[in-house]
Amino acid sequence: MEGLPATVAERLQALIFSERAVAYLQVDSGLTLVDAGGHLEAYGLADLRSGEPVTEQAFFLEGLLPPVETTDFVPSVELASGRAADLHFISQDDTYWVVLLDVSAERDAARPMQQKAYDMTLAQEREALLNRRLEAANAALLATQRELEASHDALARAHDQVQAQAAELAAWNKTLEERVAAQLAELERMGRLKRFFAPTLAELIVSSGNERILESHRRDIAVLFCDLRGFTAFAESAEPEEVMTLLHEYHAALVPLIQAFEGTLDRFVGDGLMVYFNDPLPCPNPAERAVTLAVAMRDAVAALAQKWRRHDYQLGFGIGIAQGFATLGQIGFEGRFDYSAIGTVINTAARLCEAAKDGQILVTSRVAAAVGEAVDVREIEPLTLKGLRRPLAASNVEALKVVQ
Amino acid sequence: MTVTLQKKICMLGGFSVGKTSLVKRFVASVFSETYLTTVGVKIDKKTVQLSDRIVNLILWDLAGEDDISSLRMSYLRGAAGCVLVADGTRPSTLEVALSLCRRVEADFGPLPFVLLLNKNDLREDWAIRDDEIEGLRRDGWWVRSTSARTGEGVEDAFGALAERISR
Repeated sequence: MEGLPATVAERLQALIFSERAVAYLQVDSGLTLVDAGGHLEAYGLADLRSGEPVTEQAFFLEGLLPPVETTDFVPSVELASGRAADLHFISQDDTYWVVLLDVSAERDAARPMQQKAYDMTLAQEREALLNRRLEAANAALLATQRELEASHDALARAHDQVQAQAAELAAWNKTLEERVAAQLAELERMGRLKRFFAPTLAELIVSSGNERILESHRRDIAVLFCDLRGFTAFAESAEPEEVMTLLHEYHAALVPLIQAFEGTLDRFVGDGLMVYFNDPLPCPNPAERAVTLAVAMRDAVAALAQKWRRHDYQLGFGIGIAQGFATLGQIGFEGRFDYSAIGTVINTAARLCEAAKDGQILVTSRVAAAVGEAVDVREIEPLTLKGLRRPLAASNVEALKVVQ
Repeated sequence: MTVTLQKKICMLGGFSVGKTSLVKRFVASVFSETYLTTVGVKIDKKTVQLSDRIVNLILWDLAGEDDISSLRMSYLRGAAGCVLVADGTRPSTLEVALSLCRRVEADFGPLPFVLLLNKNDLREDWAIRDDEIEGLRRDGWWVRSTSARTGEGVEDAFGALAERISR
């Protein structure tokens, strides 16, 4: 307390002693406690025993004695009592002095500031960590977004592909529709043609695509007319259903024969049928074909007539055949066309049919000449026929000759 | 007669790594969620029973310092060994612990050290890779993962250091 008046120095010493809770320990060179004094109780050192090892009683001194310097200092040491003390060491000969000065107030003042500084640093570290995590999450999100975009592109490509396939399908569909329409038209044409021609012939005309054959033209044809004898009387007396049933049987027997012989079926008129050969497609011997058909028809109807007679239907069957040029082609108007033949030869065949008795096949002399050796024909008396100025030489077909 | 030894051990590491919590867990078997920073140094004592002797460990819990130049070397005087503590969720604290170790060895020469990677209970935030730990072991470090909160590894770590310094 050099330079201070004695009164001030004494007061100051008293203040330091009480305010700083000064305490001291005196230790010898063998680290045995020699003496202790001051505010020992403030540091939990009230029970110190002189003459015993100091570090066993004041364990905070472990490792600190002897001091390395003459005066030494270890600051702010919090002891078991909770007090913080600055430890001052003084070496004097073989004696060590340990002085404790209370710094708990300084410690308590420093703690909040230090705590705040550490808390701020920790907050900054946490913020940096969160930022890194956010960046990582952001990068992951971006990667996911890129994946999504890639998926979207793939979807768009798939969509385009599907659209292209749909367009292709639509085109195929259109083609198919056109084909169906063409085939329907063909079927329709076929249906029309089948009314006139044998199915095979109709298909031939359709497949050839040459319908000019239906245009008006002249050709040498053999014409066959046939009908039932006694049909008008039968139709008047029988029930309509019986008539229709009989006609159905009759047509069912004859039409397949006409088709088999590839004759052109011109028309049905009740029990009457008109068939011709050599048109629209040519055939090598139309008269012979017509006569052969006629014999087959006569046999078929003869079989039917036996059945009819059991029902007491008295019906006969007559056929007339003539050969000559006729005009052929489509006749009629839009919505109703027929393919037909017009000419004297038609009338002649029709009149011969009228004149034929049951079972007779009357043919003109030209037809009889054309069938030649193949058929047994018997010439009959010339016929005076309606619409013909002169009597007509005619023959009856007896039978087909059996070819040896 | 059983020999009784008394050894000074220093707790070293960056701030808020759990040095004080590890001492509390070891000495009093308690854990507090409240973080209270240490000013200067705090001294505790724990008696450890080894197979052939009793060791009084005088634990110097030093204030955490990230700046190794601020380390008060006077606190280390007379230490028989050190417990280096790092926070496993903050990799930078491992660097601080290793730097402190180098600083102490530069002044006091080689000392027995154990290295504790604390806060092992926060596994979802754990940031030190296993291969790093293996690397430290290969370099001769005695390393353990510890949790002052659950007590995992704490007794083992102090016990292992007590064995090494009392041979």
